[in-house]
Amino acid sequence: MDHARIVFGLVALAAALALPYYAGPFWTGLATQMLIFGLLALSVDLLLGHAGLFSLTHASFFAVSAYTVAILQVRYGVSTALAAPAGICAGTLLALVFGLAVRTRGVYFILITIAFGFVVWGVAHRWSSFTGGDNGVTNVPFPALGGLAVTSHTQYYYLVLAAVVACGLGYRVLIRSPFGLGLRGIKASESRMRSLGFRTGLHLYAAFVLSGALASFAGVLYVYYNKFVNPVAASFPISVEAALMAIIGGTGTIIGPFIGSGIVLGLRNWVSSFFELHLAVMGAVFIAAVLWAPDGLVGLAGRLRARMERAKEAGRP
Amino acid sequence: MTSAVLQAINGVSLAALLFLLASGFTLSFGLMRVVNMAHGAYYLFGGYIGLTLAEKTGSFAVAIVGGGAAVVVIGFLIDRFLIRRTGENHLAQVLLTVGVAFVIGDVALALWGGDNLKVQAPAFLRGAVVLPGEIYYPMYRFVLIFFGVFVGALLWLLYHRTQLGAVVRAGVDDREQVNATGINVDRLFVMVSGLASFLAGMAGVVGGAFLTLYPGAEWEILVYALVVVIVGGLGSLEGAMIGALIVGLLDAYGRWLLPEFSYFVLFGPIALLMLFRPRGLFGREH
Amino acid sequence: MAQHDAARSFACGAAALLAATGLAFSGAALAQGGPIKIGLLAPVTGPLATPGKDMVEGWKLYWEKVGYTAGGRKVEVVVADTTCNPDQALTQARRLVHQEKVHFMVGPLCGHEGPAVAQVSKETGVPLVMDPAGADTVTKWERTPTVVRTAVSASQIGHPWGEYMYKELGLRNVTFIGQDYTWGHEVTLGAVRTFTALGGKVAKIIWNPIGTKDYGPTIAAIPADTDGVSAVVVGADRVRLFEAWFNFGMDKKKKIYGGYWLHQDVLPQMDERAVGLIGNSLNYAAGIQTPENVEFTTAFAKAYKRLPSWFGESAYAVGLWTKTAIDSIGGKVEDRDAFLKAMRSVSIKAPRGPLKLDAYDNPIQNVYISRIQKVKHPVLGEVMTNVPIKTFEGVSQFWNIPPEEFLKKGPYKR
Repeated sequence: MDHARIVFGLVALAAALALPYYAGPFWTGLATQMLIFGLLALSVDLLLGHAGLFSLTHASFFAVSAYTVAILQVRYGVSTALAAPAGICAGTLLALVFGLAVRTRGVYFILITIAFGFVVWGVAHRWSSFTGGDNGVTNVPFPALGGLAVTSHTQYYYLVLAAVVACGLGYRVLIRSPFGLGLRGIKASESRMRSLGFRTGLHLYAAFVLSGALASFAGVLYVYYNKFVNPVAASFPISVEAALMAIIGGTGTIIGPFIGSGIVLGLRNWVSSFFELHLAVMGAVFIAAVLWAPDGLVGLAGRLRARMERAKEAGRP
Repeated sequence: MTSAVLQAINGVSLAALLFLLASGFTLSFGLMRVVNMAHGAYYLFGGYIGLTLAEKTGSFAVAIVGGGAAVVVIGFLIDRFLIRRTGENHLAQVLLTVGVAFVIGDVALALWGGDNLKVQAPAFLRGAVVLPGEIYYPMYRFVLIFFGVFVGALLWLLYHRTQLGAVVRAGVDDREQVNATGINVDRLFVMVSGLASFLAGMAGVVGGAFLTLYPGAEWEILVYALVVVIVGGLGSLEGAMIGALIVGLLDAYGRWLLPEFSYFVLFGPIALLMLFRPRGLFGREH
Repeated sequence: MAQHDAARSFACGAAALLAATGLAFSGAALAQGGPIKIGLLAPVTGPLATPGKDMVEGWKLYWEKVGYTAGGRKVEVVVADTTCNPDQALTQARRLVHQEKVHFMVGPLCGHEGPAVAQVSKETGVPLVMDPAGADTVTKWERTPTVVRTAVSASQIGHPWGEYMYKELGLRNVTFIGQDYTWGHEVTLGAVRTFTALGGKVAKIIWNPIGTKDYGPTIAAIPADTDGVSAVVVGADRVRLFEAWFNFGMDKKKKIYGGYWLHQDVLPQMDERAVGLIGNSLNYAAGIQTPENVEFTTAFAKAYKRLPSWFGESAYAVGLWTKTAIDSIGGKVEDRDAFLKAMRSVSIKAPRGPLKLDAYDNPIQNVYISRIQKVKHPVLGEVMTNVPIKTFEGVSQFWNIPPEEFLKKGPYKR
């Protein structure tokens, strides 16, 4: 089984590497977007799929880091080598503050993160003397490190792909570590973990900050792709969509959020080219995902496979 | 000085509207543990129905009742066939109802278009009322304050002085107990959820007459209502009243005194409050 | 088993994609000498769907009139929905360029989408005729060689407004209500600049974000000693300010004037109280009585049962402008430089008056101060519309300030 997974991963990677050659610039651009938003969805899923916390404020870290990079690069001429880490730091600092939300659970956690999200959006939107208001910050250059500079969207696609693969591998190590096991233990039963002597609050706080850092990294990738950032990046729909991507693809997996991001972005671009009610279509996808595929496509595939294997075993004499 | 007084009245009249919307939200959470993010969409949809009714019949009263009633029907269907299936999984509820709100909002856009439309208020509510100190204030919004107080008083009586209210309160405190007493919980849920829908639809008509109706209004108003509920505490009627006042006043004064940080003035203190009193001012352990 | 499936499905997917790109290539080959493809970026859905509709319909009206031909070739239009969201605008612009292979793009409408679409033009070299997004900087500090603007630069309509308030309305101490985003800043502060240069005093500037629900706090903040209020508001806020103004009894106390407020598209949602107000200082007013405009408004009214807003006129005019340019180069839009050069050199007579680009790719055009009046329209009967009461002719985006000096001072920022 594991063997098959490795082969599948290699085939997928080969397909991704060859993409710019067979798919052309539009699809390469869209694929870059899918990878970036998939990474954001992955960060949401660290809390959602592994710790059972549903955050609706992840657009905040994403946007704060994007704004930091954009403002530093465009207004102060700071190089990528400093601006990109500064962006991740800014987003992570915010996560250190917002992480206090883990004092709450369940619906209160959801509501408080919504409120946090609106604070950040409101500041980005209203503090226009600093953030540029609705227009945001424009003309962000491609990243450049010393003599190495990205000069085309194809090159940037490869950079994002490499970054995402690295993040995915790191994420895999993280969720298989004792820390990740602890998180899933808390998700299953927090009181049991506590009685085992686990400091569950601290554990969740650390997960929140890590997840915020990952969202910040996605924000850095986003701003260099888009070349601009405005309050839309911090808005509530971005947070909702990130969670939706994770759920459609399959929570608690690594590939799921990326599949979900592909579906959501693909659907939006495809449907909007011929159907005016594309928001309603998105809404219907939300509803369908919640009702019929709560474990996402990966879960759905798993269920089907399990059923097939059961059938096979039953067929054995 | 005049400005400060005007802002206070502004804050209170916005609070009256927010209370109409938030009271339904908080009640349906209190009893059924349902987090309905489509509440803003209910508001918008009720408003649009009311708008059409007001144009057809020329009666504001018909618009209010009709807008509320239409949302009761839609709300019932959504509740029965969609929300009920999520059980008590708040995460699923939030996503599902966000999806519902997208659908309602988009269908409303297709039906009523993207213009900002205004529900026509009755003639005697147009124009300005002159308050002591030569302060002009819109008659409509002035009356809205009394309407909010009136509805609040009705709800309070219903909640604290009737048998139905007693059952609902018992249900908020301990659902199993109500089940055990042999009350038809299902019917109770339908009634409370109907009341919540009606309040949202009515709020849409009332709000649509001075804030106008337009695509996106559902999210703007929902966020305010959520904050009201967070501050007051989920499931508490008194909390919704106090919360609405706090949010209305913070909004009016924040926008006047610190325009660049008005969202911060509104949400910052609330985020802090949540950290130290996560259940809000009047919320209880659930 | 699983590996085999995965490999097969990958092979199928790759084959399908290859086939698709193959088709796209053959399509591109046919396009040489085939129809001219123009991409129109407009917010067909979303908060600005109404102006978006005006834009699409004004554009179509022109091309239907000339039978969708230019320079001896057929013209094909691809409409892409930007939803007034810059991310979406960026993706759609890339789709138009890479998938639809358009020869040039027209749009977008929302100011903050402008830089996103200009970005695509910059990286691909596909010309962008920017209309009607109005961010000043596009034709001033951040110009792109492949971008020309045919509509208006935000502060271009603000400058005459400031002068008009001082000289013709005799105001000396004005409160400015401005929408808190780039367009609002630039129109408002452009007016503030010319108004204060003449000696006028600013009583207060009140900024409101787009989508401000409640104009009560704004009304309450107007200083008592101000002798006039200037309004620059957009979208849904226009009606809300209008309602709040009268409901707070301000009509009995003060005068309000629209620098950018009561456009044609919002008038149906207003009533008698609007009649007589000075509603706009803008490069268009539906009530202009030139033969070109009468022809245009009559055709528009016949087709869509309403009068056009400036978004509709602007899209119609950009149709005329691009057709004139395409005609002048014999339809060879594949030569991007020639097309841009033609756009920069032709002059046209649009419904809103004569138009020609300045050296910074922004049109020199008339600005009209207009008053809301009820008129008898031959097609629509009695309608409210903007009737010009004063025309500033041939206004430059730099007003009467030398461009170098203007540019040195930097953008209008609140």
